[in-house]
Amino acid sequence: MERHLILEDGTVFSGQGFGAPATTFGEIIFDTASSGYQETITNPIYDGQMIVFAMPVVGADGIHAEAYESINPKIRGMIVHDLAEVSTNRQRRMNLDRFLQQYNIPGLAQVDTRKLIRHLRETGSQKATIVDVVDEHAKDQLAATVLTNKQVQNTATPKAYANPGRGFHIIVIDFGLKHGILRVLGDYDANVTVLPYTTSVDEVLTLDPDGIILSTGPGNPEDLPESVLTLIRVLQTKVPMLGIGLGHELFALANNSALAALPAEYHGMNHPIQEIISKEIIYARQGRGYVVDPDELDSKKLFVTHRDMIDHSIQGLRHREYPAFSVQFFPDGAPGPEEAKRVFLDFFETVVDYVQKNN
Amino acid sequence: MANKVVLDQPSMQRALTRITYEILEHNKGGQNLILVGVKTRGEYLAHRIADRLEQLEGEKIPVMAIDITDYRDDRLDHDTQLGLNEQERLNIVDQNIVLVDDVLFTGRTTRAALDALIQIGRPKTITLAVLIDRGHRELPIRADFVGKNIPTAQNEKIQVMVDEIDGEDAVVIEH
Amino acid sequence: MYKRTTEEQQKRVLFLGAGETDFGMQGENDAAIYQALPILKKQGYELFVVEDNPYSLSLESAFAKTIVATLTVQNIKAIIKENAIDSVVPAFAGVRGIRLWQQVLSEWREEDGDKPKTLGMPESTVSLMADQTALYDRLIDAGLSMPEATIVKSQDEANQILRDLELPLLVRAHNPAQATTRRIVKRLDDFEEVVGRVLEQSLTKEAVISKAINGLKEVSLLVLRDSFGNCLQVGASEDMDPIGIHTSDSLSVAPVLTISDQVLQKMRTQAFLVANILKVQGPVHVQLAFDEKTGDMYVIKVSPYLNQLTNRMALLTGYPVMLVSAQLAMGKRIDEVVLPDSYHEKTAMLEPVMDHIVVKLPVFSFGDLEAAGVKVNRQLSSIQKSVGSALGFGRTFIEAMEKAIRAAHFNNRSFSPKYMKNITDDELIQQLIHPQDNRVLLLIEALRRGYEVDELAELTKIDEFYFYQLGHLLEIEQKILNARPTSTVLAEAKKSGLSDGLLARFWQTDFQAIRNLAKEAGIIPTYKALEPSAGEFPEKARQFFATFEEENESAPLCDESVLLIGSGAFRMGDGAAAGYMVNVALSELRAMGYKTIIMNNNAADATLLPHLSNKQYLEPLEVSDVMAVVDQEHPRAILVPGNRRKLIAALQNLGQNVIVLPKDKHQPNGPEDGQSEFALNFFYDGKNAYPLVVTEHQNGEIRLIDEDVSDVDLDEFELRSPGMYQLIWRRESGEWSEHVDLPNFAVDTWLRPMPYGQIAFLSKVLGLSLVRLVIRSWQGGLKPEDLEALVAHMPQLKEGEYAMVSDRTDFDLHLKPEGEIDSTRFEMGAKIVRLLKEDD
Repeated sequence: MERHLILEDGTVFSGQGFGAPATTFGEIIFDTASSGYQETITNPIYDGQMIVFAMPVVGADGIHAEAYESINPKIRGMIVHDLAEVSTNRQRRMNLDRFLQQYNIPGLAQVDTRKLIRHLRETGSQKATIVDVVDEHAKDQLAATVLTNKQVQNTATPKAYANPGRGFHIIVIDFGLKHGILRVLGDYDANVTVLPYTTSVDEVLTLDPDGIILSTGPGNPEDLPESVLTLIRVLQTKVPMLGIGLGHELFALANNSALAALPAEYHGMNHPIQEIISKEIIYARQGRGYVVDPDELDSKKLFVTHRDMIDHSIQGLRHREYPAFSVQFFPDGAPGPEEAKRVFLDFFETVVDYVQKNN
Repeated sequence: MANKVVLDQPSMQRALTRITYEILEHNKGGQNLILVGVKTRGEYLAHRIADRLEQLEGEKIPVMAIDITDYRDDRLDHDTQLGLNEQERLNIVDQNIVLVDDVLFTGRTTRAALDALIQIGRPKTITLAVLIDRGHRELPIRADFVGKNIPTAQNEKIQVMVDEIDGEDAVVIEH
Repeated sequence: MYKRTTEEQQKRVLFLGAGETDFGMQGENDAAIYQALPILKKQGYELFVVEDNPYSLSLESAFAKTIVATLTVQNIKAIIKENAIDSVVPAFAGVRGIRLWQQVLSEWREEDGDKPKTLGMPESTVSLMADQTALYDRLIDAGLSMPEATIVKSQDEANQILRDLELPLLVRAHNPAQATTRRIVKRLDDFEEVVGRVLEQSLTKEAVISKAINGLKEVSLLVLRDSFGNCLQVGASEDMDPIGIHTSDSLSVAPVLTISDQVLQKMRTQAFLVANILKVQGPVHVQLAFDEKTGDMYVIKVSPYLNQLTNRMALLTGYPVMLVSAQLAMGKRIDEVVLPDSYHEKTAMLEPVMDHIVVKLPVFSFGDLEAAGVKVNRQLSSIQKSVGSALGFGRTFIEAMEKAIRAAHFNNRSFSPKYMKNITDDELIQQLIHPQDNRVLLLIEALRRGYEVDELAELTKIDEFYFYQLGHLLEIEQKILNARPTSTVLAEAKKSGLSDGLLARFWQTDFQAIRNLAKEAGIIPTYKALEPSAGEFPEKARQFFATFEEENESAPLCDESVLLIGSGAFRMGDGAAAGYMVNVALSELRAMGYKTIIMNNNAADATLLPHLSNKQYLEPLEVSDVMAVVDQEHPRAILVPGNRRKLIAALQNLGQNVIVLPKDKHQPNGPEDGQSEFALNFFYDGKNAYPLVVTEHQNGEIRLIDEDVSDVDLDEFELRSPGMYQLIWRRESGEWSEHVDLPNFAVDTWLRPMPYGQIAFLSKVLGLSLVRLVIRSWQGGLKPEDLEALVAHMPQLKEGEYAMVSDRTDFDLHLKPEGEIDSTRFEMGAKIVRLLKEDD
């Protein structure tokens, strides 16, 4: 059935609907990665967003149990050029179409996605809606829609839970955690406790962590309560800390630095990221609407460790006094290059040092 | 005799990177810092750490090399000559010294280097950075910054190779 | 990273050439060298190229000193000495370059002087590539999985292995003399014969036997590594057919569609590891096998040199692989690479991503051979049988595949639903299990006959995704057959990559009627730019492909453009030579100030190199594709190789200004055994004919004869267009002639356009670019200096020291023909040899 995408600036794109026949609203962004659609649409950072895929054929690999980044996808829409129909036999229990139906998420296929991406590249991320009929009513609805700023509340765990292992005790503060982080911590056999971001300093320290990870998450970090920043400020002085994605942005905010919103968000995995100290280049999955503002960085507290070589954005920070650091990119891959996983290796070596020195 | 690579080029780079971060963290920046490399390979490692610090801080950190082959307490014929000539000597008084060596083993080399340093002047602090800590200490010496702990047997030989001399970066155990 | 002590910059750099065209060597290495030379020259290097392939473009490059010499150790050593070469780039010449350079290094003696530095990889890697066992051990030590392999020296040893391992087994030559000698043995009866044969093919008389991993998915990754150990992935492609068929003979797709991100990332990590083990400064092609059921992954081949995949990936991603590789070989870090202004400044560092699909389809020569009376074994196996490949670009798999099929075949007869109807069910099953060249059509036929997808996937080990796609194509076909021509059906058909000509056949009308219908309904192609950022950045893209969507990104170039039609995919016969012709024509037209547009679909062909033309359309070459580009660009003229007769006629009928590069439809047969064929070669500029030289042709070898023909009067021959022509006569003779008595040309000879290969050869030995003269005479005639050059070639002939020998391709190995294949007519390639004089 023919359905339509209306952008806030009035532009309309038409295509064939798939997934759920729902009408939804969200912020529209584009993704240039050529693999990992399932991981991307289940990544909680995309809560409330619609994603346009540059990859022209999406869905050929079905939906797999091992590729979920969260249990429930939180996207508001998926826009592709060609939806691959695959069966739902034993190897591929689920296909993309059925998956989206199940979670009431609309998809739009046969869209000139290249035109759409080139348009978004110029006009920036904006509100959008997927509808059956393009009329004044639909446009008014879109204009009147106020998108939520409660994405972290929507996606982060309200309750603490454990992911036991036999190694170091790592506490993950959850802002909308993606499974990839837990998967890598599992590779290190870490004994993981995931805590809500509302946990108090005392509650965290009582658990006697060997290291703390500030998780990824959706939305604007400035929408989170000040208590989160206080928590980070105290914990970074006590235990090795690694911030990822939203966690990195919060780490910067907690250390007297400010963020800048990007006109067009970047979602992909093909930008080179250079570690400044060694000039080493890696590639990593990125998904960002905000970056740390280099002009507003408190260089008495933090220094820059990584930069994106294409747009020069800050990709890594480190505290001058404490074993605390952070990365804007996703070092767990899922989807994305594995070479970025070395960030976890650095983290665990820091943890080893910390544990040795404190015993 | 079989050789086993225990640290390849990328891992060696990462170990040096981590040491650099820790030095910065410990020293609260690069102020009043002097790196002293124990010849031969420690000197090259010290230069690499200095290069890394320069990338971050934008300033060159002074590097000095020290040769302690004639200075070991286990040699009978040690004279009182310093392991460095007058031109190479930096003023270390009230500076924060990081002594850089490739392997920490018995601790005797470090001890000799400390002796040599204190003869030149009185630094504010001396810390020790080593790429490899292989255990088997005979003196109460501990490294502040360790690239990699590699437990070894007494009779094994650890060799650190640096690109500048050996044509490649690697750490090898010879059995 | 710590600054290494700066080495003195290498100044005098020798590029080894790749030699004659053959199976798997279809000019891509020459194209790569040709592209790399200008940028390195600009960076201050003194460049040299040695090559013996007459169709080589690099040999005519203005950016290097070019040397025509047979590629032997002795010659390379002499050239190094004579030119004070201080470094050598072997990897641009592919596997042959690595092998030749390895031989030179191992035979280097103290008296040869300072050994030049190897660029692009350490010397140790060059020797490692010659020692499969050592290479295997290194990769296994690094934790990579490879199918277990054992080296045997005799039949007895092989038989012992057979007892330990079960069939099927993969048997290949250790230190092979040729490029392709992998054989899969499935039946016990074949084992002895194959081992015996493979032992023969090995330089050291050794065979490598390993467990065959048939049925697994095969993926190719192309990665680049710089001297500091930074790696990036240029791209990956998957083969539709499982392992068991040579990758060149399989349909392959990029980007990878049916493999999950997790697996792809593991593959990437393994490819980077291989690049780091080999310490390559440039490209590495890593082939991996993936077992979907167990998740196991095997490295099946590593190629740390430029090959077909390098050029193909460059073309299908828009990433300048060759320009970057050349600079990495010189020791630059990836972020120090400099690109021409036509690229985004960060392109070298940005991993390319594709927002389009490219299908590569192999092209086979079976039909042509059978038409010439030679029966060949059409069954595909682990030995390459294809003689070229065609690319189809689209926004869906179906669109890309249909365009690839059209690009591979020129004609659309095989699309008919009835084309496969004569095949029996037994034959169908047989061919599903033992694939032949008609692979895709057979799979469609199986679906048409109602086979289930699960069943077919099990039989063929092809991913179900492809059957769903082919099934979709079948639906469209049915829709077309059941409907009258309407704009709705037409739109869907065109979106699926079908051409106007094909639809005209389906609807039993003519091409023009379909074209009119499409125009009325507004179904016109939208050209999408092919660039490496998938739309993230504005790029000054010059490469386009057609699809049917909303936005057309291609703006007409100018009103003084010339459109050139490439020679397409077919590489047997004179395909490589035709590529050469179009390239020189492109280069000359640009030199004359024209804006040039090329249409082609063959990745091995240099015509598609970005700097050779102002704009490139990656399209099939049917009339409808060409006319769509004409409607877009309104070129002043269209230049077409002479063998494309139907296209030429159709374009002329449509009122287009067509310029023909004269050529016979087929490569002519050579003389019989014991016969000499003589040719008076001459050039016609549209007004006058200029005799050049007499050549003698015997048994696949052509030599020049020292005979002054400058006075021969050719006025009586009527010629239609400017070009190179030959007057031919034959004589019984077993000896090479010193002189020849000229016949009565009007009576005793016949006239034909000079075969492209001979034009390339004569251009090189006469030092006169004949194609350029043809182009110049088409555009306003020759300049006085051209006329002088035409006469001045004569003294050079006295030496007559070069001959062109058609290449001794091992047709027996590749095609298993029942009977002789005429290597003149069906040559894969040729080489120039230097004739040593008796008194030398």
